[in-house]
Amino acid sequence: MEEKITTRRKVLIGMTSAVGAVGASFAAVPFIASWNPSAKAKAVGGPVKVDVSKMQIGQKIQVSWRKQPVFVIRHSKEALENLSKVESKLDDPSSLKIDEPYRDVNPTRSSSQEYTVIAGVCTHLGCAPKYYPEMESQPWDESWVGGFFCPCHGSMFDIVGRVFKGVPAPTNLKVPPHYFDGNILTIGEERGTA
Amino acid sequence: MKKILLVAFIFFISQETLAASGAPCGDYGECDTFKPELNNMESLQLGALTFINHCYGCHSLKYSRWGRVAEDLDIPEEIFINNLVFGKNVKLGDRMTGSMKPAVSESWFGIAPPDLTLVTRLHGSDWVYTYLRTFYEDSSKPYGVNNMVYPGAAMPNVLASMQGQQILSCKDVPIIASNGGVRRDDFGNDITEEKCGFLKTIEGSGSLSVQEFDELIFNLVNFMTYIGEPSRSDRERMGWYAILFFVVFTSLAYLLFREYQKDYH
Amino acid sequence: MTQKSSGFFNWINTRLPIVNTYERHLSKHPVPKKVNFWYMFGALASVVLIIQIVSGIWLMFGYENTEEGAFASIEYIMRDIEYGWIIRYMHTTGASMFFAVVYLHMFRGLLYGSYHKPRELVWVFGMTIYLVMMAEGFLGYVLPYGQMSYWGAQVIISLFGAIPYIGESLEIWVRGDYYISGATISRFFALHVVALPLILIALVFMHLVALHEVGAGNPEGVDIEKHLDEDGVPLDSVPFFPYKVLNALVAIGIFGIVFSIIMFFFPEGGGYMLELANFEEANPLSTPEHIAPVWYYSPYYAMLRAVPDKLGGLVVMGAAIAILFVVPWLDRSKAASIRYKGILSKIAMTIFIVSWLMLAWLGTVPVTALRTTLSIIGTVIYFAFFLLMPIYTSIEKTKPVPDRL
Repeated sequence: MEEKITTRRKVLIGMTSAVGAVGASFAAVPFIASWNPSAKAKAVGGPVKVDVSKMQIGQKIQVSWRKQPVFVIRHSKEALENLSKVESKLDDPSSLKIDEPYRDVNPTRSSSQEYTVIAGVCTHLGCAPKYYPEMESQPWDESWVGGFFCPCHGSMFDIVGRVFKGVPAPTNLKVPPHYFDGNILTIGEERGTA
Repeated sequence: MKKILLVAFIFFISQETLAASGAPCGDYGECDTFKPELNNMESLQLGALTFINHCYGCHSLKYSRWGRVAEDLDIPEEIFINNLVFGKNVKLGDRMTGSMKPAVSESWFGIAPPDLTLVTRLHGSDWVYTYLRTFYEDSSKPYGVNNMVYPGAAMPNVLASMQGQQILSCKDVPIIASNGGVRRDDFGNDITEEKCGFLKTIEGSGSLSVQEFDELIFNLVNFMTYIGEPSRSDRERMGWYAILFFVVFTSLAYLLFREYQKDYH
Repeated sequence: MTQKSSGFFNWINTRLPIVNTYERHLSKHPVPKKVNFWYMFGALASVVLIIQIVSGIWLMFGYENTEEGAFASIEYIMRDIEYGWIIRYMHTTGASMFFAVVYLHMFRGLLYGSYHKPRELVWVFGMTIYLVMMAEGFLGYVLPYGQMSYWGAQVIISLFGAIPYIGESLEIWVRGDYYISGATISRFFALHVVALPLILIALVFMHLVALHEVGAGNPEGVDIEKHLDEDGVPLDSVPFFPYKVLNALVAIGIFGIVFSIIMFFFPEGGGYMLELANFEEANPLSTPEHIAPVWYYSPYYAMLRAVPDKLGGLVVMGAAIAILFVVPWLDRSKAASIRYKGILSKIAMTIFIVSWLMLAWLGTVPVTALRTTLSIIGTVIYFAFFLLMPIYTSIEKTKPVPDRL
């Protein structure tokens, strides 16, 4: 008995393997897809609403969306006017490196002219940056202009979450989908979408 | 020998039929057949509407989520929220936990109305379909109604205004002879006897005709069948692909097997 | 042996004998060239074992082993997890198919005398696998904590109560509570997903190693080891790869069709695979009208019910399983295969099949006087088949077994 490899055998082996591979890929779909957030996780991670009218000027609040901190900051006019002055220190002042919904709309980077809404997750390795709004000398920067400092690896961001040059964080803090309905800020969806 | 076996077999079968005296639908006997139409969106939507308006007040669907129902039943979100969702603070991702506190309902009905998410899987859709259509007037019961499928059910007939009054009545039925045929008199006419326990709807007493009411219940039970297993229509659709795949695979593997079998046959 | 393998594999093989092992147990393993479809169920059983392990791991991602959460977590898997329903139905269908395949595999063993010398240990390991599978299936069935889970477990655990003196405290010890509670579920969960599968895999390994030591049987009961070629390979054999792999592929394909039909169109198996009462959460205060085991335990359940004594029922049920272990020593026939056995064996086998199927059916239906009588008859036949085996296999005249396949 000798095993001969004829053309017919080659073709049949090829077809059977191909069909088998297709089947295996389809069979893998449920196993892979079932690792996605479940309907429960999606429901818990749904949009959150917050009333921002009580916020003081200069105040930062932390909102939990999908169990992640989202920072909402109410800026003074001066603070916003000063934003352009720090641009020389920034790595990507116009947020060109990331997909940003309100890039050229407002200096706050949000859909509001007064509030900044940014994800409190450092784009380096996911720590939550701390807010140091005062323009005063800090241990990590003698000429600190106010903004966010990440205690984990020392990344620095300005008050609207734009990243400084020469820090480990590669990009600006992300702006989550959100919209304002008067004083009610909804985080987690764009206006008119679900 | 064969005759003995036959007699034994008939004896056995008759014993079996006697043993099965607990009919699936109680006093009603065999349940009416219900064949779900899980791809009939209109029926499912109407059924959902009936459920929310008439059942959801007492019965929750706690394993199901609002948003999933809207999505699966092709109901645009805005229409869904305005017409179907109970309660103002309900989000689409929330579970349909009902609008009544169990403690309150328990004091009303004696027992808390059960959650109905899985009722069609527990009893079968046939059973639910029959149950909902077999309430009849019975003044001896606390709600003035009883049920043929589930005698003594602690549930009022919430759909009575549409169904109208349904009563138990008597009618003449043909006598079945022992050979299974209808017994006839000397003139060839069927011999009949009066039997009772038949459901009869008093015409014009409800807002729907019998046919319309059956359709309403059909849609309702269709929806409840869907909610019992929302993935069922997907399951049956995908099943055909899986079978098709294995048929193709088997055919190819068989050809290959035959080809290699030549080596040792 | 390793000439063909490349340098890398050669390097590995001199340190870890993977190539040798692969050739010995898979690629070059000699398999009888003429076998029939009955010889495919072993391969299918290992396929189902893999399905069960994989789908089981995936189910654990959503399952919650608490009294409050178990039932709801099954619905969570069925509804909220993407494709969770496929994974669950795969596991529930797989459980039934595992037993179906293993029963057919065992029946093949009885039919063709696969336990005959020198394959006694293969059979004993196989029976141990079956025993562990029964425990595994039972534990798994309790986990959804539906009405049938609860009351089925109640009945089975109460069996321990039949043991004299220690019975009652043993029951409580097994449950870890005074009823089947969260404590019971969490230990059953650990046993079901870790302990028993480990034992099962170890046993399957032993079953295969023992089989490969003595070689697979064949429907003729011919000893193919008697005629070897110059390399010591049986003349009536073909290497596993590619020849028997192709047999297996065809079998897997057909099995896939059957599996898909059940899983996608009849996942409840008419109430025999997923019992309808299990769609209601466990309620320790209300017993369902009719408690029946899932179909794969039903013959033994029928035997249990046939005996009007608690301890007696347990003993009979246990003996029914135990007796299977000693079959290799009960069969005194010179011929392994039913094809060459005498008329007595053939009659005995036929009656046995009929009565086993009858018991299987009886175990799923409510009791009546007639059914109890039938169960008793079935139980007697079941034991008679095995206990009389030494007699009828030694007195009957067998046909001569051919020399070659």
